[in-house]
Amino acid sequence: MNQNYLLKVKNLSVQMDDHKIIDYVSFEVRPQEVLAVIGPNGAGKTVLLKALLNLLPRTKGEVVWAPEAKIGYLPQRFHVDSYLPMRAKEFLNLSPAHSRSIEEAIELVQLDKKLLNKNLANLSGGELQKILIAWTLLDKPNILLFDEPTENVDVIGQASIYTLLHQLQDVLGMAMIIISHDLQVVYRYASKVVCLNQKMLCEGLPHDVLTTQMLSELYGDHAFFHHHHFDHRHLDHHDSGRKQT
Amino acid sequence: MTFDFTLILLSGAVVAAASGLVGSFLILRRMTLLSDALSHVALPGIALGIIFKFAPIWGGLLALFVGTVLIWLIETKTKLATESVTGVLFVTALALGALLIPEQDLLEAFFGNVEKITFDQIIFQTIIAILIIAFVLKFLKPLTLFSIAPDLATSFKISPVKMQLLLLIVIALTITIGIGFVGVLLISALSIIPAATARNLGSRFKTFLMLSVVLAIAALEAGLIISKFTAVNPGVASVLVSAFLFALSLFVKRK
Repeated sequence: MNQNYLLKVKNLSVQMDDHKIIDYVSFEVRPQEVLAVIGPNGAGKTVLLKALLNLLPRTKGEVVWAPEAKIGYLPQRFHVDSYLPMRAKEFLNLSPAHSRSIEEAIELVQLDKKLLNKNLANLSGGELQKILIAWTLLDKPNILLFDEPTENVDVIGQASIYTLLHQLQDVLGMAMIIISHDLQVVYRYASKVVCLNQKMLCEGLPHDVLTTQMLSELYGDHAFFHHHHFDHRHLDHHDSGRKQT
Repeated sequence: MTFDFTLILLSGAVVAAASGLVGSFLILRRMTLLSDALSHVALPGIALGIIFKFAPIWGGLLALFVGTVLIWLIETKTKLATESVTGVLFVTALALGALLIPEQDLLEAFFGNVEKITFDQIIFQTIIAILIIAFVLKFLKPLTLFSIAPDLATSFKISPVKMQLLLLIVIALTITIGIGFVGVLLISALSIIPAATARNLGSRFKTFLMLSVVLAIAALEAGLIISKFTAVNPGVASVLVSAFLFALSLFVKRK
């Protein structure tokens, strides 16, 4: 394998209950590159991430991680039971990774250290997601897999998370694979895009491959909705509200 | 008699500690109903013990083992909803048990009979309880993470499927060792109510675990002592003590 690649995926297919979820997907990720995976709901984006992490039993094709790849993974769902008796620091202490101190990780995600003594259930949705990012940073990853929460997270909170991820990528030089169905995130932050709807419909530079034709093929009539949807994000609020569970 | 009762109290404390500890994870993982259902699966095994004249606890253990594997297989290998299948399994086991167990022994199987606990059984229960506590403490971090955020637990390189099986086995063993004290119908209360109370009271995870253990011990010991001096069944007494403490905890505002 070429030394320049952190991850090389070749003809990856995943089947579940006799249904093809993803079919013949191939791409590469180099150090410090930001790859966005876009596609409509049910396109197999989350499945793709899980297949990359070797969490799925029935996969075909090749997923080759470079020996130096250190993976951080932010799952799509992390529901905190409102009665979970656990402080943020206790949660971060559960991690088996100790390459970076909890305090340092908290600083990197720009949270106040006082939050460490707060109960997870009392954190806002945005704060909780930053705690999760801090969790992944404990292991000093050089590639971060981020599965965008699609439900119950408000739009402004998500925008501030993307800003943070972008800054982290600058400071720490991590590569990222971001799942998103927000095209503006892709245009702004991604150096490369993969369009997925079971099959891989496009791969390349966002401005090159995301043609109107490609978008309507990918999303149908919803493409326009996605553009329109973005307008709300220009509001300059700093944090999200509480994630509803 | 006094010596026996001291032994029962001691063994009870260790068994309750294990139940309270395991109960905390049942609450976190939202498996309380599953463990309640699983406990009923012990009944046909207990029946075998009574019919073929061996200690019912062994039959119970065997039946629970079969039940555990069944539930795990159904959860992981089929598309059936776990909830409904455990529901079916549990009433079927209850009916089978009621059919096979002679009427005079039925109440005992349902609610426990401390006086029938043999010395061997006390030793067995205590050893298993200690092993359960040791296991949970040894794997505290992965177990906790698996219970609150299964997706993140992959960082421990333990497959969620294996973890679930381990947890089910621990639950089955916890049920087995408690049956002598409180019987099949009340057993889940020994682990679930103290943990639910502890969750109302504790804001730190460590406090929550310790409170759950302490409350479970307090409830079972209180039940055993009450039954010693009154005609009340110890299982019934300890569940009521537990429920009373839970009710009190509702009035305490968590920080």
